[in-house]
Amino acid sequence: MNGVHDMGGMHGMGPIVEDRNEPVFHQEWEGRIFAMNRAMGAWRKWNLDASRHSKEVIPPAEYLRMSYYERWVAGLVELIVQSGLATRAEIESGAPASESLKTVPALTADKAVALVEKGVPASRSVNVAARFQVGQRVRAQNMHPVGHTRLPRYARGKFGTIDRDHGVFVFPDTNAHFLGEKPQHVYSVRFGARELWGAQAREKDSVYIDMWDDYLEPL
Amino acid sequence: MVVVENTAKVHNLVVCRLCSCYPWAVLGLPPVWYKSAPYRSRSVIDPRGVLREFGLELAEDVEVRVWDSTAELRYLVLPERPEGTEWMSEEALGALVTRDSMVGVAKVSASTAGNAA
Repeated sequence: MNGVHDMGGMHGMGPIVEDRNEPVFHQEWEGRIFAMNRAMGAWRKWNLDASRHSKEVIPPAEYLRMSYYERWVAGLVELIVQSGLATRAEIESGAPASESLKTVPALTADKAVALVEKGVPASRSVNVAARFQVGQRVRAQNMHPVGHTRLPRYARGKFGTIDRDHGVFVFPDTNAHFLGEKPQHVYSVRFGARELWGAQAREKDSVYIDMWDDYLEPL
Repeated sequence: MVVVENTAKVHNLVVCRLCSCYPWAVLGLPPVWYKSAPYRSRSVIDPRGVLREFGLELAEDVEVRVWDSTAELRYLVLPERPEGTEWMSEEALGALVTRDSMVGVAKVSASTAGNAA
């Protein structure tokens, strides 16, 4: 979707503010939502791509107003409600409805460290033919899907060169909407800065973007 | 994970314009500025300006490569070895390396030892 999250190349966002003595979490609730996100994800009612999309659908004005972890709260609430793990009323009241089921959590404290260390890999060891070779010139598709995509708006329709083939990965555009993993090759594609931004960019500079097979077309 | 090397002629910078993709397993959770709209929006279009805000002015002839982490690959910058450190051991060199230099918003200098940021 052409959301505000896809902000590469936008102007007017202000200066970068550094905090030299930044704590890991600024407020206790941030650590709590970080942990809750993992614990709720362990139910496997959604996947990482769906989780990312849940934050992208926050309306733009809200998205920009919220802090990073406020977006996590908003996204997680949507996922919980949509998947039926809890109702909005239960989340707002903090109390389970009288008819709701009680069960053992999908993630218990003794399993938490192993889950964090192992992660959930998005690579797939399946044989899928690569449509492009290293060194090949390609064009990024000019497409504007309303759902989740990682194809940057700033690169659509632009010409680049395959720099390396990373192997086979789950396709976020379908996976985020539970339409299948559609595993395919991911490449690092080099785009000249002038191809992306015009004469204001330096001739030698470039942007390398991870691109799924379906985002590219041959010349 | 993909490691990209900074040299006297090439400077690499890592960004996730979409959100916060970052080598958490190695560098920990990303700092607020990495997840902020100013960094995410500007590093792809004006990397030299962004670096200037971090106090790093690159020479005209240096090639800048920005890595926009849009997939599940994670990028880490191997900083350029600072001048005058030829005599230093691997361990002593390691102590000079900062988080910011591994994201690409800073260089390593022979005098940054002990600076955790």
